Amino acid sequence: MAELPNSLSDEQHAERVAAWERALYDRTVPDFVADRLEEASSGRAAWVSTMTPAELLITRTHGVRPIATVSGNCWMKISFGANWFGLVHGHAIGWRTALDRVEQEAIAAGADAVVDLKMLSQGRHSGLGGVEFSVIGTAVKIAGALSSKRPVLATAPALEFVRMVESGVVPVGVAVGVSGDVLGTIYGRNNGYGRGYASRFSGSGGWANYNASQRIGWQSQSWFNQPITELTDFWERIRREAISDLRRAGGERGNGILAHSHTSRLIRIDQDKQPPAWMGEHVVIGTVVDASSYRKLEFDFQPVVDLRDDSPLDDPLFQSNNIYPQTEDLLTSG
Amino acid sequence: MGEEKSFPPHALERLAGLRREGHPSGVFTSDFSVNEFLLVRKAGFEPIGLCVGSCIYRMGVQFTRLSSSVELTVLSTAMYEARALAMERMRAEARQMGADGIVGVRLTVKRAEWDAKVLEFVAIGTGVVHAGGHPGFKGPGGEPFTSALTGQDFWTLLKSGYRPLEMVMGSCVYHVAWRGPLQSLMSVGQNVELTNYSIALYEARELAMERMQLEATKAGAEGVIGSDLHEGNHGWSAHTIEFFAIGTAVLPLQGASSQDIPDPQFVLSVNG
Repeated sequence: MAELPNSLSDEQHAERVAAWERALYDRTVPDFVADRLEEASSGRAAWVSTMTPAELLITRTHGVRPIATVSGNCWMKISFGANWFGLVHGHAIGWRTALDRVEQEAIAAGADAVVDLKMLSQGRHSGLGGVEFSVIGTAVKIAGALSSKRPVLATAPALEFVRMVESGVVPVGVAVGVSGDVLGTIYGRNNGYGRGYASRFSGSGGWANYNASQRIGWQSQSWFNQPITELTDFWERIRREAISDLRRAGGERGNGILAHSHTSRLIRIDQDKQPPAWMGEHVVIGTVVDASSYRKLEFDFQPVVDLRDDSPLDDPLFQSNNIYPQTEDLLTSG
Repeated sequence: MGEEKSFPPHALERLAGLRREGHPSGVFTSDFSVNEFLLVRKAGFEPIGLCVGSCIYRMGVQFTRLSSSVELTVLSTAMYEARALAMERMRAEARQMGADGIVGVRLTVKRAEWDAKVLEFVAIGTGVVHAGGHPGFKGPGGEPFTSALTGQDFWTLLKSGYRPLEMVMGSCVYHVAWRGPLQSLMSVGQNVELTNYSIALYEARELAMERMQLEATKAGAEGVIGSDLHEGNHGWSAHTIEFFAIGTAVLPLQGASSQDIPDPQFVLSVNG
């Protein structure tokens, strides 16, 4: 019968859970995690990376050494029932906490950067509830890099990271932009319109709010072709605000944001004896870059016929810029 | 972990025939694509035959307290042992046919239709041998190496100055404690981190990663590439999650240095 390596007794488990609690509160990592990362960094234990062989090839030629796989996660209970503010900030808090925690692990590993950062949000409605925010990537050391207290976080895989830096486009971190709102009343409470949203057709305020959602409800059941303009306005505003939030967050550190990943959700809430309400949320994430010192590319391209087939190391979930699983349900009621 | 196994005579004949020159059944079998086949040959290896190992495993009974976040060691051990048995049986086939290693290993698990507590694990890959008979590509203990790498990844790994050693794994099945009614009530209408859930995820992931790293270090590897972390639930309760970490442990090729590695040429694929 196989023995599970590193099997722990109940007492050891309890000690580790207590260590995790202290570490999350202190914004550090537990000692046993720091030890594992330090052993990988110093070569006393095997390093672990998400890199593919192609990435290993190019990072060896450019002095980028993988250290360890680092991760950060945060499990949030997100509530929209109280007000729209909670809805918007639940996702923002979740992502920012997860990113902060992966940075803490990278610092413990002595890394200069975290590349290939994969971000995943999963809604768990049955049983557990809440939304899990997870980030995972490979901590690396870069030969010749000046040591910094804060490693650079980049969603770019190692290959692209190296090429960006060579081209004078320096990734400096990850930015998150979030916006959300509620149109209509939920359980008799005015939400969303209280934030000053003014319908072009009926002005602002509680009754305008109620009337707009009633109109939209009727329009949705119409037999005739018609655009649902108020709902469109509402939805477009949320998207624009999320992008604006992203720009604000990224502008603090760089002058550009690449490779947006985004998810948006517009759901209808049917209620007894009231017109339906709508809740919308848009989350957009990107890699912040400093692209101020553009240099001419030193290398040329050749057109070729690719012999590569799909690799099991290439997770289709992360092949596009959109890192959110489109079928996942992100929000839960409070 | 070793296991004495005797193959049926017809299976032994099939396996031996795959390497025997002039034998009527001396034909290699593999699930390589054409591109993979070309690149494995370009790397100096020849495919021999498909290697398969499987294990049908029944999960034991696991008791736990609903209020505890704790590893479910019966299930963790079961998931680990079943996968290890499937891998070992696949390696035994490779050993029998004289392979230096196995490329393109896929390790899958599915639940039996007739019993939710029975899982079937299958490990399948293509056995390869060095065309020039070079002895330096075996895995730990002189056994055939195993790797999840495709033929293309295998070629690229060798070009980067490394060779695959073995697939390493780490598994942890964890129970997430239930929140009490008072805890749930106090967080109604608020955005709040469910810290006990976060910690459970952290601990389960950390245990899986530690175990994979330990396997790699024990095998004498320098590092692990292509590490992947799967989070799943094989029909257990919603509060039970499995973290499964898997990767390919690698070792530098003897005599290779990073100065010898040519800078790859940049290309733009015209076929997607």
